[in-house]
This record gives sequence, C-alpha cells and structure tokens, in this order.
Amino acid sequence: MDLTAMSISVVSFVVVMGALVSYLSTIPSGKVPVRPMGLVFFLSLGVLLAITSIVWNYQFSLSPHVVVVFPAFFAICMGTFFLWVLTQPKTPLGDLKIKIGDHLLPFEVKTSEGKQFLSNDLMGKRTLFKFFRGGW
Amino acid sequence: MQADLDKYKLTVIALSKDTVDEAAIHKERDQLKMTLLSDEKLKVIKQYGLEHHKAFGFNTGRFKMFGIPLALRPSFKAMAIPTSLIIDEKGVIKWIDQTDDYRLRSSEERILEAVKAVFK
Repeated sequence: MDLTAMSISVVSFVVVMGALVSYLSTIPSGKVPVRPMGLVFFLSLGVLLAITSIVWNYQFSLSPHVVVVFPAFFAICMGTFFLWVLTQPKTPLGDLKIKIGDHLLPFEVKTSEGKQFLSNDLMGKRTLFKFFRGGW
Repeated sequence: MQADLDKYKLTVIALSKDTVDEAAIHKERDQLKMTLLSDEKLKVIKQYGLEHHKAFGFNTGRFKMFGIPLALRPSFKAMAIPTSLIIDEKGVIKWIDQTDDYRLRSSEERILEAVKAVFK
C-alpha cells in the first residue's frame, strides 16, 4: 500500500464530507447560499483528489488497497451525486390553486400532538402559514 | 423573529408531509414553538397545488451530529414546495411567497416586511 495514495484518498473523503456538512449546517439558520460556489468547488476538488488517489495507487500496485479505495469510492459517489443534485434546483411551480385575496381553502389535519386541526380554527387570528418539506 | 411576529399577533403554523410521530420528533428535537401540522397523505398540499413530485430529501430522526439532524435513508418522494402564506383574521390570503429553488426559503426579512405591509 502506498502512503501517499492513502493520504490523498482520506483527504478527498474529508473534503467532500466537510463541504457537505458545512453546507447543510446553513439550512437550520436559513442562510443557505443562493449560489453555492464553495460547495461546488470543494465537491469537485474532493472527487478529483479521490480519482488521483486511485490512479496513484495503481502506479505502485495493481491490487487496490481497501484503505485507498474505500474513502475514495465514497468521496466519488457522494461528490458526484450532490453535484448532480445541485444541477436540479428548479422546483416545478405553476400548479398553485390559490391567489392573493382568496379565502383559505378548508382543510382538516392532525397536529404533531395528534389533535384534530381545522382551517376554521384560524378564524379571527392573523396567521403565518408555512408549507415546508418536513423535519430535516 | 418570534418576538417580531408576536408584536403583530401572528400565529405560526407549519404543515408538511411528515406523519404525526415524525412531526412530534421534529418539534421536540428542534425545540419549535409553532404548531406543526401533519399532512401525511398530502391532501392539503395537493389541494393548494403545492406538491413537488419526486423531490430529493432525507428522512431524519431524533439525532443530531454537528448541530445538523442526522440524515438517514435519502429518497425521492413527493413533498410540499416551500411556501409561506399570510392570512388575516377573516381567513383571506394576503401574501404568498414561493421559491422557485427548493434549496432556498422565504427569508426572515421578507416575511417581516410582508407582515408589516399587510398589518400596518
């Protein structure tokens, strides 16, 4: 096993995971960058490093070593997948059934406590009604 | 933000496709004060025309790592398009804010500005 290949492989893994963690940590605070250039840069860098480590490893030995291949493989998969996800940002809109000035459409759902909640419960209250993607 | 909303006597409710249990976990984990509504079958989301088909998302549970909910089981599924509505006392929709990029949400400043404009 070549130490340089192993180091590059581990670094590529850390770069990809670090980029994802620092990007995802902006979500709870609502500070997601409009153009996540840093994320794109570090994901690309991570993928390139991972490929480099595998190529480097082959220079010295034809049998890939798990310590080189595993982090590199993981970095390539995660990196390319999230780069692909970033190319798909547009939400398909145009189906909106409400407009400003309309009355709330009546509905009946359950709260997180399992209690019944009717749209009528909002009458007489000023409300900020948010539709969101779920707890994550 | 909550203090500003209280000033205008705004009730905050938030609806998603999470089940009652998932919503309860989310509320406890992130210590949310607002009412979370569970629209597991996307009835309300579809009724309002806010369904995002096959959106990419993670399922998260109780646990956090580095302050981020630990993401498990990534999958593509239908969920709501992030949308904010301001509704007055009579149940009339006064403001709609939708994002065309699902990564981004209505910013606090934009919501507050709209609240101030609606309830002068």
